[in-house]
Amino acid sequence: MPELTQITDIQARFAAEDYVADRALALTVKLAGDLQKPILLEGEAGVGKTEVAKVLARVLDTPLIRLQCYEGLDANNALYEWNYARQLLHIRMAEHDAQARATLETTIFDDRFLLNRPLLAAIRHPGPRPAVLLIDEVDRADEEFEAFLLEVLSDYQVTVPEIGTFRAAQPPYVLLTSNRTRELNDALKRRCLYLWVDYPSAEKEREIISRRLPALDAQLATAITKTMQTLREIDFYKRPGIAETLDWSRALLGLGVDALTPALLLETAGVILKHRDDVARLRDTDLDRLLAGEAPDPTSSRQVY
Amino acid sequence: MSRPATPLVERTLAFFAQLRDAGLPVPPARSVDALRAIAAVDSLREADYRLALRVNLVSSPDQERLFEQVFDEHFHGAADTRRRPRGLRGESMQGNLGHHEKALDQQVTAEPEQFTAQDIGRALDLADRWDPDAPPLDTIVRELARRLATRPSRRMRTDRRGPRIDLRRSIRHNTRHGLEFVDLMRSARRTRRTRLVMLCDVSGSMDTFNPFLLRLMLGLQQLMKNSRTLVFSTHVTDITPALRTRSVADTLREVATLVSHWSGGTDIGGALARLNRGIVREGSARSTVVIVISDGYDNGDAAVIDREMSQLRRHVRKIVWVNPMYGATTFKVRAAGMRAAMPYLDHFLPAFDAKSLQVLVRGLGQV
Repeated sequence: MPELTQITDIQARFAAEDYVADRALALTVKLAGDLQKPILLEGEAGVGKTEVAKVLARVLDTPLIRLQCYEGLDANNALYEWNYARQLLHIRMAEHDAQARATLETTIFDDRFLLNRPLLAAIRHPGPRPAVLLIDEVDRADEEFEAFLLEVLSDYQVTVPEIGTFRAAQPPYVLLTSNRTRELNDALKRRCLYLWVDYPSAEKEREIISRRLPALDAQLATAITKTMQTLREIDFYKRPGIAETLDWSRALLGLGVDALTPALLLETAGVILKHRDDVARLRDTDLDRLLAGEAPDPTSSRQVY
Repeated sequence: MSRPATPLVERTLAFFAQLRDAGLPVPPARSVDALRAIAAVDSLREADYRLALRVNLVSSPDQERLFEQVFDEHFHGAADTRRRPRGLRGESMQGNLGHHEKALDQQVTAEPEQFTAQDIGRALDLADRWDPDAPPLDTIVRELARRLATRPSRRMRTDRRGPRIDLRRSIRHNTRHGLEFVDLMRSARRTRRTRLVMLCDVSGSMDTFNPFLLRLMLGLQQLMKNSRTLVFSTHVTDITPALRTRSVADTLREVATLVSHWSGGTDIGGALARLNRGIVREGSARSTVVIVISDGYDNGDAAVIDREMSQLRRHVRKIVWVNPMYGATTFKVRAAGMRAAMPYLDHFLPAFDAKSLQVLVRGLGQV
């Protein structure tokens, strides 16, 4: 992988795609190429984990191959599947042709009947640049799948019993994301470069807003940043991430407002907070103080039932 | 680096040793990758050297913090003691746990002396309260165990009489018959065995509710062989072996002799910590359903409960909390321990009176 080797270059190229990459992320991307190891990104929902893979694919101008994990995800859905309908049709057609019949056993497991699922597609990607494989929310899959994933990721090759072994010409960039709803297998974690993605600093958040929404008034953008940073100090069930910041900014831009008010904050709370209890909690908060950048007393206990 | 005379690799290896001492596992495969990583970056830039090592060696936010702290100590000698407790959370927990285990050991060795007349009285009392002929409960428990014991997996296995036709296997299998479909291969859903871990509060505040719940535990334990039952107050005792005996009376007697801390104070956090570091780690964590039976009144720190519950949450499939106070008309979540645990529960079930027991049984059936 000759491309992403300079940290500053990686940062610049991510910035060109409107993604603010800090040095830790840029260095991890570089090492992923150098050491050919997958990257495991953990963090709260909405801090931009998935976005890293999308941007990386755009930077490399290469396809993004995405595998969304869920419980019960198995090899058939992650790796490959035979196209049974075509296979059966092929068998039917061969019944009336003696020659085709004789070769049926070899032709029936031909490549054209093979459906490439994400993992195999990433390994078979012809290039010229390596594909980006995003294995999203790996904590949702079960333990059997993790074991299987470990096998694929350790040597980037896949064996289809009926055909043979596929080996990646260029190992793909692999990004795994996890929301940490459960602990991943130790062996899988050891295989990866680990990066905890935190909520962005005020400075970074401000920069993200202005990059993604240049039309937004600068003063309003600063006010939004300040409010979001303060909101994160409140003990919500689900603290708002950068995704919520951008949604909210877009909403305010659409509404054509030029300053934040308590009433406006409450009206648009649904964009930021996704829990009924959290919205109720916001309603009980002193919003004037909050908009002034003052977090409410963190010791006030959470209402249960 | 601060001492350029020392070769970088040696200096790094010394740092690995200090990381291990601090409790961060550095297996050989990881250290090799970490060394390859520092060769790939500009190691003279400390920030890059630090990051290159970190992304290779850690795998959780806690470990990240620990790494940062040990790094500062090793390369700058600046031991910021104020940050230490936070970074070494795991270790201080272990210390705490060690204390519990030691207490437990002493208790086992010193058992005859510690067994006061009052304890025996309570144990007998418990046996008395046991109603030997309450037939409906047995049936209920059996039905419950049957429903809890297994659940369908989303994975398939080959099954000759399964409901689905496995086309892939069928095609492969019938190549031997010239792709004439002589045999159809079938598949069915796998079943996953559930492992039940019951953690029952036997402290003073729970006194009056013991008989029914103990009976429930006994029934479930005998029907679900891979389950575990623990009782706790200030200590934790695994009473699984005692519950394996057949007769109810024998079981009770054995349990009573085994557990000498009935009706003491409560340390829910400590009990959860013991669970997290022991039984939950013993495998098949994702098939484990934890049932905590407690009123949530606790002498310990609610913050410990919060931390241990969040840990438990990430390891097991379901957490069920049975609160014997819940079901009373005046019930409100008041106990600090209960409040701390609430956000992590899948099911919160009552066990106050006959009516709430029906709710409990229905609730457990849905787990």
